[in-house]
Amino acid sequence: MMIQEQIYWNPVLETLPFEKIQSLQLKKFKKIFEWTYTHSKFHRSLYDKAGIKPEDIRSLDDVKHVPKVEKGDMRSIQGKDPYPYGDALCVPLEEVSEFRQTSGTTGQPVYQPDTWQDWEWWAECWSYILWAQGYRPRDRVFIPFGYNIFVAFWAGHYAAEKIGCEVVPGGVLDTQARILKIQELKATAMMGTPTYMLGMAETARNKMNIDPSSLTIDKITCAGEPGASIPGTKRRMETAWGAKVYDHAGATEIGAWSFECSEQPGGMHVNEALFLVEIEDVDTGEIILEAGRRGKMVITALDREAQPCVRFDSKDIIEWSTEPCSCGRTSRLIKGGVVGRADDITKVKGVLLAPSSIEEVVRDIDGLGDEYEVLVNKSGDTDQITLKVEMAPGVEGKQDDVKARLANQLRFKTNLRFDLEFHDFGSLPRYDVKARRFKDLRKKE
Amino acid sequence: MSAQIDIEAIDNNIKTMKKAAEELSQMGDDFPAIKRNTARILASIKMLEINVSDIIDL
Repeated sequence: MMIQEQIYWNPVLETLPFEKIQSLQLKKFKKIFEWTYTHSKFHRSLYDKAGIKPEDIRSLDDVKHVPKVEKGDMRSIQGKDPYPYGDALCVPLEEVSEFRQTSGTTGQPVYQPDTWQDWEWWAECWSYILWAQGYRPRDRVFIPFGYNIFVAFWAGHYAAEKIGCEVVPGGVLDTQARILKIQELKATAMMGTPTYMLGMAETARNKMNIDPSSLTIDKITCAGEPGASIPGTKRRMETAWGAKVYDHAGATEIGAWSFECSEQPGGMHVNEALFLVEIEDVDTGEIILEAGRRGKMVITALDREAQPCVRFDSKDIIEWSTEPCSCGRTSRLIKGGVVGRADDITKVKGVLLAPSSIEEVVRDIDGLGDEYEVLVNKSGDTDQITLKVEMAPGVEGKQDDVKARLANQLRFKTNLRFDLEFHDFGSLPRYDVKARRFKDLRKKE
Repeated sequence: MSAQIDIEAIDNNIKTMKKAAEELSQMGDDFPAIKRNTARILASIKMLEINVSDIIDL
């Protein structure tokens, strides 16, 4: 078999029987826990307070006794010596070769140091992702992203190189220049946020008179937002670009832990040979083992050394899928990808609302543009929720039908009645990277 | 799939490479080009261990 025909990046680990994956996870958890206990003052203090030591981990069931770490914990120890990482740094400062930081979406950014080995590991995690999504040495990968202090797409870039692809860094080019470069070089793959992939397609169509599906892109890997796992958003991107669109999930302080494979099974594989994912009931803290029950992800990166990620409380809401994937990988799927974040879910008019459910409705209705904005406000004691959308070009005469479908679907999917505003196409804000479409103005009061 | 792959033979080669790289690293204590390039080789060897060697004794 030619290497290009091999469907797995690692035909051993990716087809390992699940019991062996769990044995591997236990062996590696013991090792990273001991490493962390021995080398991080911050973690050692946390574990000593909880009365747990490395020798107490004898089974995967013991892992739940290890205290979790939250982003806030990391913020509080940073900005101190060894500067700027503080007491969670597990290696001498001179072994740190990479600095990145979180985007600060939920507060003060967290610094992330990595050794060169960690950086190789990042690219390794991404190599699993890209190979599973059909990237091969023959691909010319265009990365339309302004690389910077955030981790986004650096590891994707290095993984594509490792696989043997030709990588075109689209860094500081503007959107139109990027589209022209894709056209000129006949690039076959690219990576971006769903927001930007849709925005690029809109620019190509409306400002350059180029049909993006006529270009040579045949696969797109998304990150940074949940859109590629939202069926309506995925369909819009695939239609616009004439390409397969795949989701992946990762985070600066975790690594790239999950990916959709080329079978597009309606969920993402957890790379369980490299990560230990636990799902915790949001209310009780109980670890959820069964499929089909949503909870909050607690995750351990099993091989990361400079600033370890051991039982990190990610706040991502996920659930195990009941079905295995037809691709043959033995790692489990999370159904529908990351379906929300524990700190994004909010109560409106007494009803729990996940912002992604609104996107699911809007992007599933033909006749609406890609952009939308949600405002939650208070009038007296009553919550008000307003959804602003754009009519897509060419729906004249069908607007009443589009409006009725939107109102019905929102009621059906969210149990809420929205005030709807219809705006001219192109009038709502556009975003280049991650969008902020959900604005809860009640919190400012 | 995994039955067709001799992971023990692969692991033996990884061990041989690691030993050679570690020896080279020691020889590079006064030779930055050897020391730093070997550090990168050892990081790549670690990825081979993650991919294969870590499952040998399961």
